[in-house]
Amino acid sequence: MQIQDIVCPFCGCLCDDIEATIKEGHIEDVKNSCAVSRSKFMNHTSNRLTNSSIDGKTVPFLEAVDAAVKILKDAKRPLIYGLSSTECGAIAKAVEIAEVTGGIIDNTSSVCHGPTILALQQVGESKATLGEVKNRAELVVFWGSNPTESHLRHLLRYSGIPKGIYVPEGRKGRKIITVDVRSTGAARMADEFIKIKPNSDFELLQALRAYVRGQELDIDDVAGVPSDEVRRLAQEMKNARFGVIFFGLGLTQSLGRHMNIDAAIGLVGELNRHTKFLLTPMRGHYNVAGANTVTTWQTGYPYAVDFSRGYPRYNPGEYTSVDLLSRHEVDAVLVVASDPASNFPVDAASYLAKIPVITLEQKVTPTTLLSKVSIPVATAGIEAEGTAYRMDGVPLRLSKIVEPPSGVKSDLETLDLILQGLKGGT
Amino acid sequence: MKEIEVTLLSGRTTKQGIGLEEGKTSDSYEKSVNLIFLNQVDIETLELTQGQPVKITTEEGSTQMNWVTDKNLDSGLAFIPYGPWANQLYSSKTSGTGMPRFKGIKAKVTQTHEKVPSLLEIIESLRRKK
Repeated sequence: MQIQDIVCPFCGCLCDDIEATIKEGHIEDVKNSCAVSRSKFMNHTSNRLTNSSIDGKTVPFLEAVDAAVKILKDAKRPLIYGLSSTECGAIAKAVEIAEVTGGIIDNTSSVCHGPTILALQQVGESKATLGEVKNRAELVVFWGSNPTESHLRHLLRYSGIPKGIYVPEGRKGRKIITVDVRSTGAARMADEFIKIKPNSDFELLQALRAYVRGQELDIDDVAGVPSDEVRRLAQEMKNARFGVIFFGLGLTQSLGRHMNIDAAIGLVGELNRHTKFLLTPMRGHYNVAGANTVTTWQTGYPYAVDFSRGYPRYNPGEYTSVDLLSRHEVDAVLVVASDPASNFPVDAASYLAKIPVITLEQKVTPTTLLSKVSIPVATAGIEAEGTAYRMDGVPLRLSKIVEPPSGVKSDLETLDLILQGLKGGT
Repeated sequence: MKEIEVTLLSGRTTKQGIGLEEGKTSDSYEKSVNLIFLNQVDIETLELTQGQPVKITTEEGSTQMNWVTDKNLDSGLAFIPYGPWANQLYSSKTSGTGMPRFKGIKAKVTQTHEKVPSLLEIIESLRRKK
């Protein structure tokens, strides 16, 4: 059986043209996938978490659910974390669990584009869909972002190669510039690579902003880039009919963090006095944008939300997971579709070994190995359907193309059972 | 022991993405993230020989890794793929933003005769850490 138009559940590109060949209930082959997407589809049965467990001992699924309910009920300050690699229905259920338990809900954006959100909330944003980029953008800047390693079909589908209504020549009709501290794959495929000193993005963005405003700077270079080159780049940005800056964690994870994004928004704001210019974060996990969106429509805030007073409060730096764990401020964690034991700095990760952790996961991970309760779940977008939000905020429907392993439920179904248990149901 | 100071960068790689979808406990994942990318000049300064790990030390911690030459890196820059090995080196301090600094921190790289820890050894070290 051939299934077409499958949405890939790996990165924020959410490529929606994947084709799969299904034979006897298994994925035999996929087409149109990038290397990582192919690995996700073809290896979705590898290294699976095969059984529910408590303290490493196999238990029936419902016993694990009951244990999870007890841990969350007993906790004074539980944290619900992850959510960026699952579908929106499960995220909404996780928000409700945070509310019922008086806990904190946070998603992986706190360690990826959280600083982006902080800056956007202060300043605002100039945005459009990736379809608009494909059809209109003639100047594309990748800043602190390397799509050739992390978003493998971005250039192919949206930003580089495709022919658009107002960019009929495709790649030849676009200029691509990469700004980075090292020569990445994106730098090598770009028409121009601007190499800057580490931790100096803020200075270069502010200098560009000044030149766009027509100000002169009494300096020879900025961030290791000669001033004449910065002035020329500013002019090139102003002259573009339609431009876009795609930025990555090179801006959010280096010195300056959200202030780098603040400066980038300021630059794009100045450019919009002269032309049309966009700023788009390269979101990593396929539904991290959905985690922000669902949490916002349910609580008013995109991440780092505390329900301990019975109503939502928002304070990144206080209610964000790395801070909570490294300060030992939570006494239980429910992890959904994430691996904080691998992804957090050692101080925060090690605290996961000191408190009861419940993890809903498809595969064996360092977090499941540290967890008191592990529950296997279906892979959203392959074994369970749902909705995910692309990096530009467009919601797309995920498909269920094969059945999950026998007895394995989706994140949504499992979280719903935990929620019922917390509310006193069966 | 030869030693150099580098600015440490971390990030995604395609191999890391492929490996994590095979599974965090797979060989391909471990091999994709327990290594540091170094400039050839820095490798020569450290007098490294093939198969000999390096030790990376920051203010926060240290770990041993395999190394690979990256001709696209400038001398003094080093790159590590995201993963449990890289996270032995970073601070949990977020300066009130929620975000640790995963890029642009100072580190020392030295020769070592210590072996590269396995994933299970890193998990055990998380259990033992006070």
